[in-house]
Amino acid sequence: MNVVNVDTTVAMELNQAAFDAFLANGENPGWLQDQRREAWAAYLQMAWPARNSEEWSRTDIRLLNVEQYPVLISSTSPAPNVQPQLNQGVELAGQSISCNGVSSLVAVKEKWQQQGVVCGSLEELAGQHDELIRTHLMTRAMNSQYDRFAALHAACWSGGHFVYVPRGVVVDEPFHLVSSLSDGQADLGHTLCILEEGAEATVLTETVSEQETDTGLHCGGVELLVGPGAHLRYVNLQNWGSGVWHFAHHNAVIEQDATLQWTVASMGSRLAKVNQHVALVGKGARAQVNGVLFTEGKQHMSYHTLQHHCAPYGQSDFLYKAALQDRSRTVWRGMIKVEEVAQQTDGYQRNDNLLLNDGARADSIPGLEIEADDVRCTHGSTTGRVDEEQLFYTQCRGFTRTEAMRAIVTGFFQQIFDRVTIESVRDALAEAIAQRVRDYS
Amino acid sequence: MSEFVKVAQVDDLSDPGKVVLPVEDRLVVLIRRGQEFYCIDDVCTHDGGTLGEGKLVGCELMCPRHGAKFDIRSGEALTMPATENTLTHEVKVDGKDVLVRLSED
Repeated sequence: MNVVNVDTTVAMELNQAAFDAFLANGENPGWLQDQRREAWAAYLQMAWPARNSEEWSRTDIRLLNVEQYPVLISSTSPAPNVQPQLNQGVELAGQSISCNGVSSLVAVKEKWQQQGVVCGSLEELAGQHDELIRTHLMTRAMNSQYDRFAALHAACWSGGHFVYVPRGVVVDEPFHLVSSLSDGQADLGHTLCILEEGAEATVLTETVSEQETDTGLHCGGVELLVGPGAHLRYVNLQNWGSGVWHFAHHNAVIEQDATLQWTVASMGSRLAKVNQHVALVGKGARAQVNGVLFTEGKQHMSYHTLQHHCAPYGQSDFLYKAALQDRSRTVWRGMIKVEEVAQQTDGYQRNDNLLLNDGARADSIPGLEIEADDVRCTHGSTTGRVDEEQLFYTQCRGFTRTEAMRAIVTGFFQQIFDRVTIESVRDALAEAIAQRVRDYS
Repeated sequence: MSEFVKVAQVDDLSDPGKVVLPVEDRLVVLIRRGQEFYCIDDVCTHDGGTLGEGKLVGCELMCPRHGAKFDIRSGEALTMPATENTLTHEVKVDGKDVLVRLSED
């Protein structure tokens, strides 16, 4: 049955002529134009994901009209007035800010520049660091033809962020990357982080709308390439307005003896569908992923994670915790995939859900796909309500019910906060969660 | 309480017939049986999936995935695996126009 669309919003056509004009207006090097054209052809051939596919059966995007948003960004619009949270009280190595898919601010400390560190707008740097970006952009980590959203992103991305840390350089101050949106706008930013052998860095990223109720579209991509023996701490706080559609492909490739600690906090958006794929391709690669989801109203968040072990002695540890209130819904689908060669793998995945009232719903679907015969892979999932006895006990100590609820929710997330080693991130997450908890009597 | 919104014309639907429509920020199933019109959420309360593609028999709409049945007049869940009612919305016919007023959650 077809959905009758009675939307009267003026559409911004997403056709061949508009795409050609977008390419002509940009200053992309030849290889990037070719890459975009190839992705565009894939976009035209593909259909939007079908509801009968396993991955999309719980996520309804029938009300999405991509052409309602200015996907093909050709000019600057007024920069949103947003207040980033993760950089409070932090001395930064570099910063890159984009507004509505257009770079608006780039700053890198001189001392890091002298050591070959690069931080800035991916679109602007694509010409300057041609070989480096060409080699890594959507070639190893992200599959630009995974689905129609990936193809659209690969064809039409703009702005974005680029962080590069050369071999052996240890950057002991964080980078701060912000993507912001005004009401009704689109962001197709791509973030590419490359750490060469033995490098170390911390990257704090935020996606944020101007107002809490803003609408918009984000169709993004993140690629983290962690070289041999390198160490990357990557934090992503998603705090879009409550009317923003959020689609993203987040990918990491971890080489031999390298480590990645990836913290995801997802609070905003109307609907979020995120694929997070971490490939451990070198011996002894390690990945720790910490996910915090907090949903309210009619929000829908769907996270699909993949821990892909492609080499021996790898360790992966994914922990996602979600608190849900009102009539919101989360879908978490995790998979540990171990290739035959990846013996001695140690993989773990866990998803805990705390339902704060009756109308919320959490679907948790952990999975294992193991080809090797000498591995340890385990998973777990819990879903439950707030314990009334705990609330009563806390209230007996003089707290109001709301304060008690906040304390219990904070305690629920404490396991993740304990794993986050960056103080400003811990503070920002705790503050964001505490603000959202309401009283349910 | 939201206002009545014109969503279709009487002749847009066959008899008996149904159509999935976006109304404000949600999808609903508008159903016609003779001169009577009904409107329920396009949500099977069993798995949260769509209901509108299901089979309509009398006043029962069956979920196309697992067979849960809902009464189109009251939204009542009639059979397993659904145990919660789905939301109904007020419908009125004004001349040739069919109007729907969304209920509160």
